[in-house]
Amino acid sequence: MDDQVDVVVVGGGSTGCGVIRDLARRGLDAVLVEKGNLTHGTTGRMHGLLHSGGRYAVSDQKSARECIEENRVLRDIAAHCVEETGGMFVKRPEDSEEYFQEKLEGCRACDIPAEVIDGEEARRREPYLARDVEKAIVVPDGAVDPFRLCVANAADAREHGARVETHAAVTDVLVEDDEVVGVEIEHDTGPGKRVHREPGTTEEIRARYVVNATGAWAGQIGEMAGVDVEVRPSKGVMTVMNTRQVDTVINRCRPKGDADIVVPHETACILGTTDEEVDDPEDYPEEEWEVDLMIETLSELVPALKDARTLRSFWGVRPLYEPPGTGTDDPTDITRDYFLLDHAERDDLPGMTSIVGGKLTTYRMMAESITDHVCEKLDHDADCDTADAPLPGSEDFSVLRDYMEEFGIRSPIGRRSAQRLGSRTDDVLGGTDPNPVVCECEGVTRAEVRNGIEEAGSDLNAVRLRTRASMGNCQGGFCTHRIASELAAEYPGPVVRDAEDELYQERWKGQRHALWGRQLSQAMLNHLLHATTMNRDGDPATTDADVDFGAFDAGPAGSGESAGDGSSSDDSGSDDSPAGVTATDGGLDATGSPDATDGGIDGDR
Amino acid sequence: MTRHTGSDDETDGIDGSNRDGRTNGDDRCGCGSSPQPNVPEIGRDERPAIFVPDDGEEAGTAAESSAADGRTGSPAADAPRTATDGGVESATGGSDSTELDPDAYDPIDVFPEGDLDLRDGADSCYKCTSCDTSCPVAEVDDEFPGPKFQGPEQWRLKRKDDHDIDESITSCSNCMRCDDACPSSVPLSQMHNEARGQFVEEQMEKLSLEYVRNRILANYRTSARLASVVPRLSSFAMNFGPARWAMDKVLGIPKEREFPEFATTTFREWWRDRGGAQVENPDKRVAYFHGCYSNYNTPEVGKAMVRVYEHFGYEVMVPPQKCSGTPMFANGMLKDARRHAETNVENLIEAIGDGADVIASCTSCSMSLRQEYPELFDIHGIEDVSDHTFEALEYLRIHEDLNDELAEARPEDDRSFAYHAPCHARNQGLARQAVETFRDVDGVEMEDVGDSCSGISGTYGWKSEKYEKSMQIGEEMFGHMEDAEGEVGMTECPTCAMQMEHGTGYEIEHPLQLLEETLVA
Ligand SMILES: Cc1cc2nc3c(=O)[nH]c(=O)nc-3n(C[C@H](O)[C@H](O)[C@H](O)COP(=O)(O)OP(=O)(O)OC[C@H]3O[C@@H](n4cnc5c(N)ncnc54)[C@H](O)[C@@H]3O)c2cc1C
Ligand code: SF4
Ligand code: SF4
Repeated sequence: MDDQVDVVVVGGGSTGCGVIRDLARRGLDAVLVEKGNLTHGTTGRMHGLLHSGGRYAVSDQKSARECIEENRVLRDIAAHCVEETGGMFVKRPEDSEEYFQEKLEGCRACDIPAEVIDGEEARRREPYLARDVEKAIVVPDGAVDPFRLCVANAADAREHGARVETHAAVTDVLVEDDEVVGVEIEHDTGPGKRVHREPGTTEEIRARYVVNATGAWAGQIGEMAGVDVEVRPSKGVMTVMNTRQVDTVINRCRPKGDADIVVPHETACILGTTDEEVDDPEDYPEEEWEVDLMIETLSELVPALKDARTLRSFWGVRPLYEPPGTGTDDPTDITRDYFLLDHAERDDLPGMTSIVGGKLTTYRMMAESITDHVCEKLDHDADCDTADAPLPGSEDFSVLRDYMEEFGIRSPIGRRSAQRLGSRTDDVLGGTDPNPVVCECEGVTRAEVRNGIEEAGSDLNAVRLRTRASMGNCQGGFCTHRIASELAAEYPGPVVRDAEDELYQERWKGQRHALWGRQLSQAMLNHLLHATTMNRDGDPATTDADVDFGAFDAGPAGSGESAGDGSSSDDSGSDDSPAGVTATDGGLDATGSPDATDGGIDGDR
Repeated sequence: MTRHTGSDDETDGIDGSNRDGRTNGDDRCGCGSSPQPNVPEIGRDERPAIFVPDDGEEAGTAAESSAADGRTGSPAADAPRTATDGGVESATGGSDSTELDPDAYDPIDVFPEGDLDLRDGADSCYKCTSCDTSCPVAEVDDEFPGPKFQGPEQWRLKRKDDHDIDESITSCSNCMRCDDACPSSVPLSQMHNEARGQFVEEQMEKLSLEYVRNRILANYRTSARLASVVPRLSSFAMNFGPARWAMDKVLGIPKEREFPEFATTTFREWWRDRGGAQVENPDKRVAYFHGCYSNYNTPEVGKAMVRVYEHFGYEVMVPPQKCSGTPMFANGMLKDARRHAETNVENLIEAIGDGADVIASCTSCSMSLRQEYPELFDIHGIEDVSDHTFEALEYLRIHEDLNDELAEARPEDDRSFAYHAPCHARNQGLARQAVETFRDVDGVEMEDVGDSCSGISGTYGWKSEKYEKSMQIGEEMFGHMEDAEGEVGMTECPTCAMQMEHGTGYEIEHPLQLLEETLVA
């Protein structure tokens, strides 16, 4: 068993990424395997709230305390993933005064700094708040970018010797002599960076210990090992607005309920959410009423939302866990706490532990406790330093610089880049010249896109998660092809085309839930542009059929008599310009016959 | 007008009540006992950083108005909220822009010091790039990122604490062609104006020569007033070689440009000497907004306006007035512009109270009073001024039968003109008015020289660093003027006129002068 590693971590969400970082920093030889991209699961489909703990201050004070503790840690170690927005619990006239007081006391009891302001002051800070908001409790909520956070954790782990395999699904848990000894994985395209069209392979990874951090999927991994893990997946919807109507997190101050929070996230605002139990974490209905509910209910707090543009909606599934025998009916009553399930104790199956439940905000704390647990099992003595060591990108940095002078880019673009890249700004932006903007909506330049490609291979969705390219109001309509063309230098055409399709489809998926008003106009414009300028509604290069280029170039039958034809008179009438026009319309080897111009035009219909 | 789709009802209402004499000026301007909703009590400079009512009263008023507007759709039916936030809703425009209530339009202050938050204007942009392809500056200036970036993109990338505005905003000439090009009612020029104002206020070195130069150019009225005290000397001195060289080197005013001549008698002096209005008619009154240029430099345009209007039986009033603000917007001097606007609105509202409509002979002045004023400032009655303002020829074409009048008339000698429609005329839908008015008149040839921009855009072409680009933009128009039959240029805009003259050596007239020649003389 010479190629045995110390630990395999299954699942590349916030939990798994936190665990692999901690293990690696403590000197263990560890591998992370994830079936999709990092954040493919719930972590990529959450709200982005860096909890102050205020939301749990009444119902679950243990969680609330953990939240505020980790909230402080993340501001420090993950500064470039966190925006210190602040948050409010606002009270409308019909909301209970008693609960408002309970909330306030709860916050104070959990050491969450809380200040009460009146409605006028609340509107001074957030002018789009409804006129009849009476008062608010101000708490240190924040916004966190889960993608950047996971990528930074994984990068740090890699720097400390860990191996991170994405697009590598665990297909079996290896059990020998009643002990877990590793996993079998299926590489989507082979080990390493993802490259479209590369054939898949399988691999067995033997390990002294396996950590199951697959969240809502934990039951499936459990099953492969022959144990029961009772995760109750519960779905929630989130709706993304095109601009930020609020710059602080706005919570509704009432016991529990759907649609009670607006989180400013990067250039957008995210509305949420619902809580409804589902059977399968990967197959559940996404319903229109859920989106309507978000907009309608939350416009009671922020009326401008009602007419504001919606970009897309997405759903996530909470990995709620209930210790056997609790028997809670309503998923909102299930605890938000996390649980370590040591299968040796629980099921007499040593070699594996599952971690379920919890929140993104407390990911590091969860990772620390499971790493402690694994170290104990492996008899490995090392201290945890993840609460103090900044993540790559969050070492000292400032976004205030002269971007035009230093990098030749416009200041709002530079500012956004630096807000995303943190201390990596100089490394990433320096050196690419020229450095045009590739994604205009989010202000992402070629340098950042190339950096993403270097890290993630031909996987443009992974590039998107790293850069936010294609996440703005055109939802990729104006940039997927530009991003893809950055791949073209390194990868063959078909790979590039597949990668582009995949990104474009992913953007479409979320947009389907916003097809009215202005986003519908956008979607139509995107479609027509892609269809008419790039042939994407019937690109011969993507079909196997032979294309009769000759017929296309020669123009319509009977060429030679159309010189007087109205539609072509402009071009064919003049001396040398038609040749140029012909070439672009009809193909390079066109003869320069003026009539070929018509062929091009006909072909477009 | 791109953004005032729903204003018809409103205007009618006011006109109607005015004719019946039921409403007096005071009530309409909102200074009476029943303040108009959405005409905030205090203006931009004085108002608190965030626009919230100081007491319950304003909310109450808003509630009434919302009921009156018939605004519905709030399940909670709590009217105060709906009304005030209704303004926010309509600010975004978008697919259902016919339902917009410009009256309720009230951009919200998020940024300190009363700066406007125009992020939600980005909601209407779908990136089609029509604005960029119609921007004359982007066409000749590779460094200028274009209106799409300056407007919706830059605003959308803003967070509350992000205050830096890209300095390229100072390259926008404020020609407003982008407004006209946008199919989706993105408030581009409002975004540019606001961003430029914030840039100048917060980022521009106040003692820099560029700032000083821009401020001098923006406050043309001040210089012109001083100059016209000794007009001949000023005309000579300002164009005197060594002085021009120094201006170019020190202030960055290109020596190629000739300063306009100052008239020996200003329009207002002429008006005073003539004894004011010669026609009295309480049923047909107009208040003439002559602007700075027809007062100090081309009083013949102002005189033509008076004579033509009196010919049609109008009583002309000439209220006290200051600069319309156009050059100040273009240079981000919003505070200066606001001071002048206060005087203008106060005096014009009074004239409107006396039954007058406001007439401007300069298309940029009418543009400013109509669109930029209500977009950028809240001053009592500013919406009323906006609703009652017209361009001189436009107004006659609405209210008089010009075709009939002109059917028999012809100028003394046959005339032919090369006509250029100013960009700001285009934005008000007036690009074709001169050609349409005169095309059937015997003895008049009027040729439209195309829809390109003249390139001067007010003060833009008056900056050394922009001079070349200004002339490059103008090239197309110069060419077409040369090709045209006529040897005299015609346009409604005084700075376009300067550029036309500068590029071709032609004399330039205003349509009002031709009307005067044809009808009055
Ligand atoms: C609607 C919603 C909103 C939320 N909002 C917040 C919030 O605002 N703040 C907050 O702190 N928390 C929030 N949470 C909770 C938080 O998102 C989750 O607790 C957290 O992301 C869970 O991370 P995880 O790593 O445990 O699970 P996941 O992110 O789901 O990671 C599990 C990973 O395992 C992978 N996997 C599954 N099966 C296999 C296999 N066979 N082989 C390999 N890999 C596999 C999956 O692809 C997935 O990437 C929210 C949750 C929901 C549902
Ligand atoms: S106002 Fe004119 S110069 Fe400025 S961005 Fe618009 S089109 Fe270009
Ligand atoms: S024309 Fe209007 S919609 Fe099109 S890109 Fe410009 S601002 Fe956006």
